[in-house]
Amino acid sequence: MLNYTFIMEFISSILRMSTPLILVGMAAVIGAKANVLCVAYEGMMLCAALGGVLGSAYSHSLLVGVLCGMAGGIFIAAIFAYFVLYLDARPLLSGLALNTLANGGTLYLVYLLTGMKQNTSNLVSLKFPIVHIPVIENIPVLGGLVSGHNLMVYIAFISVVFVWFLINKTSLGIRIQAVGKNPDAAASVGVNVRKTKFIALLLSGILASFGGMYLSMGYLPYFTTDMAAGRGFIAIAAQNMGVGNPILTMIFSMIFGSAMAVGNVAQSYRLPSQFASMAPYLLTIISMWIMGIRTRKKRLKAGRAGL
Amino acid sequence: MSKMKSVSKTRQIEMEFSILRTAMAILISLAIAFLLIATVSDTPVRDFITLLVGPLKNTSRLTTIVSKLIPLLFTGTAICLVNSAGQINIAAEGAFFAGAVASTAVAIIPGIPSVIHIPLCILAGAAAGSIIMGIPGMLHVRYDVVTIVASLMINYVALYLGLYIILNPLRDPAAGFEASYRFAESTVLPVLFGNSRIHIGLILGMIAVILGYLLLYHTKFGISARTIGENPKFAVYSGMPVGKTIIGISLFAGCLAGIGGTVETLGNYQRFMYGGLTNHGWDGVMLAVLCHNKPQYMPLAALFLAYIRTSADALNFTSSIPPEIINIIQAVIIILVAAERFLANWEHRTIVRSTKREMEAQGGVK
Repeated sequence: MLNYTFIMEFISSILRMSTPLILVGMAAVIGAKANVLCVAYEGMMLCAALGGVLGSAYSHSLLVGVLCGMAGGIFIAAIFAYFVLYLDARPLLSGLALNTLANGGTLYLVYLLTGMKQNTSNLVSLKFPIVHIPVIENIPVLGGLVSGHNLMVYIAFISVVFVWFLINKTSLGIRIQAVGKNPDAAASVGVNVRKTKFIALLLSGILASFGGMYLSMGYLPYFTTDMAAGRGFIAIAAQNMGVGNPILTMIFSMIFGSAMAVGNVAQSYRLPSQFASMAPYLLTIISMWIMGIRTRKKRLKAGRAGL
Repeated sequence: MSKMKSVSKTRQIEMEFSILRTAMAILISLAIAFLLIATVSDTPVRDFITLLVGPLKNTSRLTTIVSKLIPLLFTGTAICLVNSAGQINIAAEGAFFAGAVASTAVAIIPGIPSVIHIPLCILAGAAAGSIIMGIPGMLHVRYDVVTIVASLMINYVALYLGLYIILNPLRDPAAGFEASYRFAESTVLPVLFGNSRIHIGLILGMIAVILGYLLLYHTKFGISARTIGENPKFAVYSGMPVGKTIIGISLFAGCLAGIGGTVETLGNYQRFMYGGLTNHGWDGVMLAVLCHNKPQYMPLAALFLAYIRTSADALNFTSSIPPEIINIIQAVIIILVAAERFLANWEHRTIVRSTKREMEAQGGVK
């Protein structure tokens, strides 16, 4: 069974599963740099997924769809930021509440606009195009690896470079890191802490939107109830494992994506599908545990050296 | 003396505003609900009235309120406990599910007398629940793992492991659908009133609430736990057993959530039939917020949630409105109650005014 087509299909399945995780992982990196405990990514993804479908279905324009999707994600991010930064709401609860709100709100909108109660499969919405890279696409192995994926797959990888550049090389990024690490010091040199965090969360919202839109305009051709399916949380885990570094976060997102892809293959070979579905979550726990053992050892060593 | 009086007056105003905030949150969310219903319904007023008083319409709906209330008492108290110790552990969801699975495994064994069988089921549920909620607590204490992420992940592990157990070794091929074998007759929970569906789970739930309250507010363990939640550094420096307390409270909370899963399954079904997580744990999170992590308010908060859920059922029954609209109401309530500065300016002005008045009465500074 391990022939060329199978391997290529498996690799592209890994890319499909990893794409939303990478995008939302990048959103989580920015949120973590600003030191805001945001768990509203599920909600942002859901609103963006629905926004993209509705926008593109009613306007027949992909651009309008993307703008509506982004608006959906930014909407949740802005409410979150306003409540947490200006009304001192507890971030965890606000995040959870917004996920619930997005869940109920998207269902309500789907029902209001399409009369359906589960999904928007009766709407004709647009998908992101498949990108064929000229010349490279004809090179045997490389062509299959690099070319012929959904546009959003490429955007996911570009977003990693973008976030790395934003955080390390722009003044906004440095301000975001400053308010995250030491808000008092940042404020004392004239950085508006709340405003900077607000901007960081909105950027997060945009990145998470792309992750959400990929689900309803690439991975599947329509919106369905609760389609984020825990991805927002897995992305937070990837960010945690990647200690806020965009490239490490991307690598961990791809590890989780691969676990999901393996799960899908296992399912098609009639192995108990529950184990396959469980794999990424169990893997997250085990890898966090291993990371914990390592940091603890390091700290013990450092402690001893200090003595 | 008068300073003390003024402080207690301030406390009282803060307390009043905390109640006012909750009331306002409920009112605002109801207003939003009305607007939402108005957009999708041809008979908005009738449907809104159903939402408000539908559950009181007949005894069957009143029983529904109580039977929806029972599991919430368990998961709500469980989350109050872990939250009080500063642990954002949302594995009550997985613990509830695991409790239901484990008690199913025991409940399908035939030939055990009721007096032994029901406690055995509860024990199995409690054990499974405490494992699920204990793991994130343990990982946090021993390996610095972020509790919220670990507990989110373990929920899915509990779900899929549970489904595997139910759909493979415990699956009844004769059932005709995906479900476990039938529970033995001896596991039917005794019913409290006549032939209603209100079973002894209600009493167990109230016991859980009382135990949670006593543990948090009347034991040394509870004081340590709350200190760890409020001021972890102080807890460490004053030599409290931080790690042990966190693990202990997570295990106990898991016990409660697991028993919740047990009584919910045995009390309402003849076989295990869940196909996914049941959301009782998330409800617990919301209830704990509404109660400010104080188990003594849990019955009231749970009653409120059970009431609006029954309203949602009534709406679903009498109109075509999707019952998920209730999720929106729930979200608006949580976020407004969680927003500490919501109405803060008003609160601040009231406190300042009351203090000024008091100082004037003393003939002091004007």
